[in-house]
Amino acid sequence: MKLLLRRFSSRLHETPYTAEVILETGAKINIDRANVDAVRADLIIDVPEDKVERVAALFREKGVEVRKLVKLIAWDETRCVHCGACISVCPTGVFKFDPSWNISVEEEKCVRCEVCVKACPLGALACVE
Amino acid sequence: MRNKSIEEINEKIVDGSVHVVTADKMSEIVSELGVEEAAKEVDVVTTGTFGPMCSSGVFINFGHADPPIKMKRVWLNDVEAYTGIAAVDAYLGATQPSEDKGAEYGGGYVIEDLVAGKPIEMKAIGYGTDCYPRKEIGTTITLEDLNQAMMLNPRNSSQRYVVATNSTDRTLYTYMGTLLPNYRNANYCGAGALSPLFNDPDFETIGVGTRIFLSGAGGYVIGEGTQHNPVNSFGTLMVAGNLKEMSAEFLKGATFYGYGVTLYVGIGIPIPVLNEGIARKTGISDGDIVTEVLDYGVSRRDRPVLRRVTYEELKSGLIEIEGKEVPTSPLSSFYMASKIAAELKRGLEAGKFLLSLPVERLPTDTVFKPMKQTKELPLVKDVMTREVKTISERASIGDAAKLIMETQITHIPVISKESKLVGIVTAWDISTAVAKRHEDLAEIMTRKVMTADPEEPLELVIRKLEKYNISALPVIDKDRKVIGMITSDEISKLIGKRGKWQWRLRI
Ligand code: SF4
Ligand code: SF4
Repeated sequence: MKLLLRRFSSRLHETPYTAEVILETGAKINIDRANVDAVRADLIIDVPEDKVERVAALFREKGVEVRKLVKLIAWDETRCVHCGACISVCPTGVFKFDPSWNISVEEEKCVRCEVCVKACPLGALACVE
Repeated sequence: MRNKSIEEINEKIVDGSVHVVTADKMSEIVSELGVEEAAKEVDVVTTGTFGPMCSSGVFINFGHADPPIKMKRVWLNDVEAYTGIAAVDAYLGATQPSEDKGAEYGGGYVIEDLVAGKPIEMKAIGYGTDCYPRKEIGTTITLEDLNQAMMLNPRNSSQRYVVATNSTDRTLYTYMGTLLPNYRNANYCGAGALSPLFNDPDFETIGVGTRIFLSGAGGYVIGEGTQHNPVNSFGTLMVAGNLKEMSAEFLKGATFYGYGVTLYVGIGIPIPVLNEGIARKTGISDGDIVTEVLDYGVSRRDRPVLRRVTYEELKSGLIEIEGKEVPTSPLSSFYMASKIAAELKRGLEAGKFLLSLPVERLPTDTVFKPMKQTKELPLVKDVMTREVKTISERASIGDAAKLIMETQITHIPVISKESKLVGIVTAWDISTAVAKRHEDLAEIMTRKVMTADPEEPLELVIRKLEKYNISALPVIDKDRKVIGMITSDEISKLIGKRGKWQWRLRI
């Protein structure tokens, strides 16, 4: 499952909080994406299902906002015309054509880079929180 | 085989015995049965395409208000339509952006909303004349309230499109979609073997007056499209149809990020199989259709051709460019194109759609000429400073500071032993370096330098300066030797400057 971690406190940045959580839980965490600016840092991590609760709780204890990402990429099927513009830009191969040239979406692969959101001419894709 | 006539086929359509196949099936039939049998068997081949067609729009008549107005300007949901025609006539173009939302909304979206039956806010200002005294009006209209809404698209259904890719190290946002850096993707367009014009490349049956499927309604080909270039397999059509009969399923407003608004239009054309020649041509398959891959990293009219490629390769999802496997995306929809060809087939089989004989043939010998430019743009080499001060990468920061002070030049290109450009250093870099106590120039210079080519038009350099907010570019030759500098100060001295970063060429 993917978690969105958000921290505002810059003090936290001085402690290796992600490493601490990994060591304490032994969870094999994958960092899908990291966005750091002057105000906040957003991290999207992929956590094995059985460790999700524990990892989330620990991050919260350390003062990090944790949100479970149930919807990684929102696809408005009624707006989609199956043009395929999203296929070649997606770094992880979320979109594919089925044999009748309909788009299929493998959401689990999404790392929320948002490239497809701009690339979809129909505005049928969105990264919602 | 005896040739068939359109009248005979129409009789079969009326009595329900007509044999119609979609263009993708026709290639299979021709390769299985051969041309002769296929020509006997099949009466009509239906084609279809559904893609972004910028050159589209609608002629609208609003009816007269009381007191009446002769419109000077009119807006529909804040999107301006052209009113340089009669008092309450206007042409709404698909690519016109909204005044307040920019490219998020525009003409294409208004057309879709009209067809979907949504209410549209209309406002207009008038000239105020004796016969049309009113100077302003605001109202809400729907498609039903309009007297006429005639779709008239100057260029649709292009036969062929090029494939776009990008050699530069920056993402480009184009009318061919998002192009990732370093050939990471390639975008194409067009319906391949289903494409109307590839099934009748010599315009034997498609001509002025040919009845077509236009976004859910019956429409007509009214002439050659703009940029019609049949000699190079870039034929196009001008088409018209009644917007009131169209369906929002086949008309979608869309936005190409960074480029603008457009409209997805659906077109289907029935090709009567009158003889063996036509049967053979409609037997075309994706493997027979060749197009070119162009590098959109080059902002010139004649972009370099990287390779030739078939639609079969493109549709496989991966093509090879410069030794790399590159994923491809179509921007038009094969799913919708097939749906249109199938819908047209059903209409013919149900006797609801009759074929028409063109009243005039379209030209087959024209080409698309470039614009005649009477005022040539200056090139970089015409305006660059040729006396350039450079500094060696092994120099110290002190040397660079001295050079900047002596010459009053704020941007100094840094060069290697072989005199090749390796970086640039600015007065600003020097002051931060001093503050941070750096000593070597190589440590503080910017290595990723944006450069200009001596043969590049000045206009493109101005765009680079503006886009990346920089004020000077080294001009380099093929060996990366610095042969000049071009700065925003000099450009503004030369061509004048209005407002910050607002350049107007005074030539
Ligand atoms: S780019 Fe948008 S409209 Fe096109 S297939 Fe993808 S989601 Fe659908
Ligand atoms: S957000 Fe990025 S990873 Fe997710 S589907 Fe879009 S392009 Fe793919």
